[in-house]
Amino acid sequence: MTSTEVRLPESNPFVEIATHLFLEDLAAKVGVAGLNNYLVGLAKHLASAMPEEEYADWPEFLAALRDGQSILATFEEVRPVTDRCMASPRSPFERGWREYAKRVGAFAPVHREAAEYYNAKVRPIAVTSLHIVLHTFRESAAARIRVGGKPVRYEPLASVWVDGEKAVPPNDRLNPLLKRAGISRTRLGMLLRNHADVWLLEPA
Amino acid sequence: MLDVALASLIEDMIDKAGSEGVVEFWQRVGDNLASRMGKEGYLGWTSFNVAVREGRTAFSIEGEVMPLTDMAITDVDRDIVGYLYAMRQCCYVPTILRTRFSVGQMSPADVAVASEYNENVHDIAVCNFCVFHERFREEIAKNIFVSGNPLQCYLLATKGWRGETKISSKNLEKINISEQHVRALLRNYECVYGLVMRGAHLKGDL
Repeated sequence: MTSTEVRLPESNPFVEIATHLFLEDLAAKVGVAGLNNYLVGLAKHLASAMPEEEYADWPEFLAALRDGQSILATFEEVRPVTDRCMASPRSPFERGWREYAKRVGAFAPVHREAAEYYNAKVRPIAVTSLHIVLHTFRESAAARIRVGGKPVRYEPLASVWVDGEKAVPPNDRLNPLLKRAGISRTRLGMLLRNHADVWLLEPA
Repeated sequence: MLDVALASLIEDMIDKAGSEGVVEFWQRVGDNLASRMGKEGYLGWTSFNVAVREGRTAFSIEGEVMPLTDMAITDVDRDIVGYLYAMRQCCYVPTILRTRFSVGQMSPADVAVASEYNENVHDIAVCNFCVFHERFREEIAKNIFVSGNPLQCYLLATKGWRGETKISSKNLEKINISEQHVRALLRNYECVYGLVMRGAHLKGDL
């Protein structure tokens, strides 16, 4: 079986738009903090509903990521840059966002407000509310994977939204992450030109 | 990703708000989305049907919609007041497949929401998303004008992922289309609806 055969079919962007509206309706009732909590719960629930994984060693795990067979590669293509550094060429939310912008108009401000809340309370890495889902999902999914008997830890290095806006942790936080990922700041900048996310996976 | 996450959370939503709460929630979301789509006007049915075929109308947000121009809806004077429209694929099918291949299977809550809607609102839903769908179409039809008249949408038939079908005898009677015609359409399409000029004197009104 080739890697293209195991990829998920694309979603209908209409369903994604409806979901965005659903979240906006929810935010009107529970506020930005409530939306943040809901999105975190949503992503954790999704990860916990997916099967656990085990790999004999790190190269086998990297191959599963590259071939789209790991739960971390279910919704997006993952390109390992080094043993620890991963890059996603496209955001899994891009199609939905583009269709929303085309058919409905500008993204509702509450998505950015939720990201600001997440940046202040959890980790400074979100541009929109959808990054809350993405980072929480990856973190929870990584914890369900064992490589050589050890769980995997996830840390985001940088996110770029569809419009090009970047979210990168402050230097004191970023530098140790880059070292653990095995890439330089220049390399990170190069990756951000044509990738949506750069992240770190390592044994916990 | 968001679609699969939400599909897997419907069960939790039912625990919190009940099936009827989820139905109300989806309907409100349908209203909200429709209210943000803006108005459209067309000189007549020909220009509207071309716009549908080219994916330029608010209905096109759902995916590819085919205007069935050989299936006109007529009023009591036999004037054409509308047409049938159909989608080859239900827009929720990709989400069902994505859920199957990521989580494992759709939550039984999907059926619970559809059943709630079928029992208490309109017996036409084959999945929870039909609830959102029907309301959304009804609302955007009000904002689309053909020859100066706003439209009205009648959801006629749906076909689920497992092949189950729902046909609205109430709406078919209203627009005077036979069930056999619609059943035949379900061989090629998964969702069939009629768009009619609002206020037209339909045979079913007599």
